[in-house]
Amino acid sequence: MREKVMSLSQAADLIKDGMLLAVGGNAMHRNPSLFCLEVTRRPVKGLRVCGAALGIAADYLFATLQADTAYFGFFGLENEAGLAPGMRKSMEKDGPGRAVEGS
Amino acid sequence: MINALRAGAYGIPFMPVGGMWGSDLVANRPEFFQVMKSPFDGKEVVCVKALVPDYAIIHVQEADIYGNARILGPTYQDVLMSRAARKTIITTERIVGTYRMREDPKHTEVPYFTVEAVVELPGGAKPGICYPEYLTVDWDDHKSYVGSVKAGEVPSFAEKMLKGRV
Repeated sequence: MREKVMSLSQAADLIKDGMLLAVGGNAMHRNPSLFCLEVTRRPVKGLRVCGAALGIAADYLFATLQADTAYFGFFGLENEAGLAPGMRKSMEKDGPGRAVEGS
Repeated sequence: MINALRAGAYGIPFMPVGGMWGSDLVANRPEFFQVMKSPFDGKEVVCVKALVPDYAIIHVQEADIYGNARILGPTYQDVLMSRAARKTIITTERIVGTYRMREDPKHTEVPYFTVEAVVELPGGAKPGICYPEYLTVDWDDHKSYVGSVKAGEVPSFAEKMLKGRV
């Protein structure tokens, strides 16, 4: 087994334009939140994301218009945390966001 | 969605899916859903295209330096994602010794050979929840995020959340 520990910055550098990312967790639960925020600080674009119940981590990538397509069953923050604001802004208003919904 | 990831994990181009009949999604997204006849009895079946993510990004409670990862609490679809993706990036609340996996091998939800990177990132799911490490949403940060989207100031929210973390 090879050691794979790296910094947040090094790991975020692995993400390249146009990649499809499966974003773990569920709504506000166990999302890779800080990782996706680190990705928002890079000039990466054209990302696509997928997950059965996408939440806040995927939402960041729509808020910054870096992601343009989401494959999902549910996309929101859930309960008191409400709707996913970045996704809605991108898909309903001024962004390139596109929903590919599947149950 | 889950069957799309399953098809990706199994290395097949699509998978039949039950339960889509009656949904407009089938007609509206022909690039994702198609109807075909079963080769066995000719009955129509909805199929969903495989998804093969370039990376699965998964935050866990425990991982070792090689990428063996343990999820304490609900796993959602994360195990499936790690199998469907070409490679997985793990962020973890803490790095533990491999002895933790040897104590309870069945609990290694994500094995090292699916993993390309391990990042030790305590609080990596904030402002969300990571059972059993932090059990409530950080409402101040949640409010700050929602405000930052409205104001177009997500970079300053990211700056605040990531201060001293990179």
